[in-house]
Amino acid sequence: MQYLYNIIKADYLQRTRSYSFLITLAVTVFMAYSFVPPDTASYTTLSALGYKGVYNSAWVGYVSGIMTSFMLSFYGFLLVNSGIKKDIETEVGLIIATTPVTNFKYLLSKQLSNYLVLLTITGITFIVSIAVFLVRGTDQPFILGNFVFPYLFFAIPALFVVAALAVTAEVFLGKRSILQFIIYFLLFGICMAFINEKGGSDTGVFDPFGLSLMTKSITQHINTHFNEDIKSVSFGFIFNGHKTFKLFAWEGLNWTPIFIFSRLLWIGFGLGLIYISSLFFHRFDFKQAVTIKKKKLQSASAVSATEAGQLIDPMRISRSVLPALSFNYGIYPLIKTEFLLLIRQGNKWLWLLNAALWVAMFVAPFKYAYSYLLPVLLFLQVTRWSELVTKEKTNRIHYFAYASYKPLQRMLPAQIMAGILLAISLSLPVIIRSISTSNLYAVIGLLNGAVLIVLLAVALGILTGGKKLFEVFFFLLTYAVINQVPFADYLGSLPDHHAPFFIWIVLMMNLTLTVVLFIARRYQIRHL
Amino acid sequence: MALTITNLTKQYNTQKTALTNYSININKGVLGLLGPNGAGKSTLMKIIATISKPSVGTLLLDGVDIVQKPDTIRKVLGYLPQDFGVYPNLNAYEFLEYIAAMKGIGGKGLRQRIDLLLEGVNLTADAKRPIGTYSGGMKQRIGIAQALLNDPKVLIFDEPTVGLDPEERMRFRQLISDLANDCIIILSSHIVSDIDSIADEVAIMQDGKLITHAPQYDIIKQAEGRIFEVLLDNNALNQFKNQYNVINTARQADRIKVRYIDTKGNVAPESIPVTATLEDAYLFLTQKNG
Repeated sequence: MQYLYNIIKADYLQRTRSYSFLITLAVTVFMAYSFVPPDTASYTTLSALGYKGVYNSAWVGYVSGIMTSFMLSFYGFLLVNSGIKKDIETEVGLIIATTPVTNFKYLLSKQLSNYLVLLTITGITFIVSIAVFLVRGTDQPFILGNFVFPYLFFAIPALFVVAALAVTAEVFLGKRSILQFIIYFLLFGICMAFINEKGGSDTGVFDPFGLSLMTKSITQHINTHFNEDIKSVSFGFIFNGHKTFKLFAWEGLNWTPIFIFSRLLWIGFGLGLIYISSLFFHRFDFKQAVTIKKKKLQSASAVSATEAGQLIDPMRISRSVLPALSFNYGIYPLIKTEFLLLIRQGNKWLWLLNAALWVAMFVAPFKYAYSYLLPVLLFLQVTRWSELVTKEKTNRIHYFAYASYKPLQRMLPAQIMAGILLAISLSLPVIIRSISTSNLYAVIGLLNGAVLIVLLAVALGILTGGKKLFEVFFFLLTYAVINQVPFADYLGSLPDHHAPFFIWIVLMMNLTLTVVLFIARRYQIRHL
Repeated sequence: MALTITNLTKQYNTQKTALTNYSININKGVLGLLGPNGAGKSTLMKIIATISKPSVGTLLLDGVDIVQKPDTIRKVLGYLPQDFGVYPNLNAYEFLEYIAAMKGIGGKGLRQRIDLLLEGVNLTADAKRPIGTYSGGMKQRIGIAQALLNDPKVLIFDEPTVGLDPEERMRFRQLISDLANDCIIILSSHIVSDIDSIADEVAIMQDGKLITHAPQYDIIKQAEGRIFEVLLDNNALNQFKNQYNVINTARQADRIKVRYIDTKGNVAPESIPVTATLEDAYLFLTQKNG
């Protein structure tokens, strides 16, 4: 047990000792604070057809608990799904493979370490929820159980499953990050649809987030006390302007033994996933995964080196033999290669999906193409952009890149331009359709948005040294865009944003990001 | 071409100083850098390669301050770091074209130059497949090719023979000797034989300081009269090690031939003096200053 503890501890420390995790925690504090919005806010996080709970312990505690469970299950997967990948990249996996640790114990340690990361974030939201209650709770009494139990029965079991799913996805889908995201969010969507359609079940046993129990309790309360016939409750960040709500005092849930027992079943389900995964785990032996094509290439290489019979040939590299140098300080060749690297990153099959979405944007109704298809298509490139300026370090090319001629004036702009080129190429259907209708604001908005997302990827990559933060941020941003959250509309798809003021705001953000990332990179290239 | 380093100090934080008041003049030819782990060799090379800034001190390349104007040396620099990587999705041609673009090299002759370099490092047959499928030695050879792309006048090799087999190492040394005629080559290696066969001058470092910098012959001379060999019984070795600085041992039938350094003027009985090598001198000097 001791060594399992040591593996989990080391893994947890490795993940949390980073700037990106600190920033994630800072964002968590902000998000947790916004789970319980002030009366003057233009949004709500739990809405039941014009009704809202009084900010008592039960409302604040349960809303925070359920929102943490829901939101962290939503994006937490992205945050933790690289534990095994890290061991492959650092080759620590090869050392682990030679130790007596079993596949199950190794994967369990990864799952528990994922879980600890998610629990750390949960712990922060828990503390913030109490602080929010003290700030907004007026004169309502503080009841600790109303804060503890929602976290204990909603967030803790749900996140255990999320942590297990992250490990399972890594075992079965390896480095195919985008495919992992897509399948996870499909599962998440199916799960949510099931909960919404069937209400989970009367007991809430099949609902990992506990949403159905809360929905049922709140609708029953409103229907009984206000003689209404409300069927559902909406969760998430719902923007509806400064709407006035009717208030009701909700006192929380009565926990049933079967619901509490079902939480243990969900934890058991997570452990079951780990066990099944352990049966298929590669244990860092990738020989089985080598394709026939690669095998041919490898055997050809072995023959070529042997047949040649000689290795380095100094006579052929001498100065007298090599042609004279000519210099070209332009950045076009750099842009070309950076673009090539962007295109080749990830799986080829993804380009089929990209192409399908790209064509669909020509034929779908303009509003859908602009507001839904384009944000999704851009998000599918998340791993390309997140690696734009982090790949040098990941691949240990940064020695060459930083020691190259004028890296700040040539290399960095080339990377940014290649990224923007890709973003604009993917946005072309919507840009062309906007041009054809003389919608100049939309065209500028799209270009601005394409630049913004690339600059964000570059800035977060440089500042954190990793790609996770951008990936999570871009995911949440895309979620918000699809839900028509006004301040997240970076592509300017909302009619209100077809105005000079909005264009100037995004432009200013782009300029600020540009200044920040150049200053940060300038420091970075001289301080290895 | 001359590189003048004066009073260089690199402090990472209050507890860790990688280089202390380091001064050296480096001229054309091969300078071998020797020193134990943590001596500051890699830090020194990173500073010369402009990817790390010194806390204090100046570096002048032909009189131009390269701390203030790093692009002066970047134009003429070939750098092979110890733990460099590659983009696995690019093939050798694409990778070298990319590095060439970083270095600001282009024109019609570039493709021919890359062809010749790939021939020179014997990677032509494999040049069109992704570098991700290369062996360690092949990656090291692509690293050597990229360092030579821009006809460098300053070449920095940090542990360049790692991953090369003995024959490749021998050929690499020959390559270095050929290149050394009209450029500065700074070569760091743990393998003393890599350095003693090609370095014109040797600088020995320890704890971030320069212990000595001189032509090989002069450095070896400092250990002359201090190196001895003696034949011992198997069971006497451990006790001998407690008394003397043993350099190496070799089994000979039923006895052991022990090569050791005498620093205290206390030569073991039946010892015979032997000619010092660079490795002996290196161990003698680092132990003396340690």
